[in-house]
Amino acid sequence: MNKILPVLSLGLLAGCTTILETGDRIERGLTPPDAVNYATTKPEGGFSTQLNDNRIGNKIELLAARKSKTDAGYSRVQFDLRNGSYLRQTINVSFEWLAADGSVVESQPNWIVTPLEPGALTTVTATALKTQSAECRLRLISR
Amino acid sequence: MNKLSLLACAVLIVGCGTPATYKDPNGRDLVVSLDKVNIQDFATAGSQMLQSMVSSPSFSKGAPVLQLGMITNDTADNFDTSLLLSKITVPLVNSGRVTLLDADAVAAAARAASGSNANVPHAEYVLKGKILEDRSNAGSTRQNSFVFQLTLVEVKRGVAVWQEEKLVTKQGTQNAIGF
Repeated sequence: MNKILPVLSLGLLAGCTTILETGDRIERGLTPPDAVNYATTKPEGGFSTQLNDNRIGNKIELLAARKSKTDAGYSRVQFDLRNGSYLRQTINVSFEWLAADGSVVESQPNWIVTPLEPGALTTVTATALKTQSAECRLRLISR
Repeated sequence: MNKLSLLACAVLIVGCGTPATYKDPNGRDLVVSLDKVNIQDFATAGSQMLQSMVSSPSFSKGAPVLQLGMITNDTADNFDTSLLLSKITVPLVNSGRVTLLDADAVAAAARAASGSNANVPHAEYVLKGKILEDRSNAGSTRQNSFVFQLTLVEVKRGVAVWQEEKLVTKQGTQNAIGF
């Protein structure tokens, strides 16, 4: 009996997801967080960036942001992204639309998973649903 | 010693498992299932199709009257297809981009009662679609692709004026959490 109980305890330890998650938390604590990064179009043209995860700068290049209007007069923005690294990257994008006063008027909050081969280009297109949507804020996570 | 071991076992049994917590439904820590369409899959496919749909010429002027048609679930998973449609219709209706015809029996009866000369909107477009799946595996690695297909039909001419297909492919040996 004395020998069986420690073996049983070990078996419980091996099958216990809580203990595995603790290990995951330790690993996450040792690595920098995967912070959200932003690229926002400007009224005068071009875009500004806010990099909260500096590692993304070594992986993903934001080449251009083109602003246009649809036939119905709604704003449309295309962001050109490139995987500038030598490894396959997966970026996750979502976006928000801002009114001229800077307030958020609409958003696509869920992340779109976009795998990118080394050197590959991708274009993220966002079309506004509301007429007051003026500027687009692209949200990016690289993982 | 026996009592100590029993106590250790009891502590381990009680401490085992992950307590339930609330998660951001748009966040990164959601369960990814291999064999079923997850809630984030509907959101991803729906938002991408919405973006494509509003870029079509049919949405270039006014707020067209839209009626929802049949969305066929041709997967082994049992779910309500409104999980996909609501990701498209909610933003469209709330932004005034479409006039959505209510398709329930009460609305149909009200339309019938109002007579043919009444100022009742009639569907200009019908949105219909299908959700399919394709399963394959290599050894213990399983791959499951869900195909979301939508078609916008112009009622007057009976022709498809917009079509879109989005694939969500998941691969692995077991369900996981996160991207």
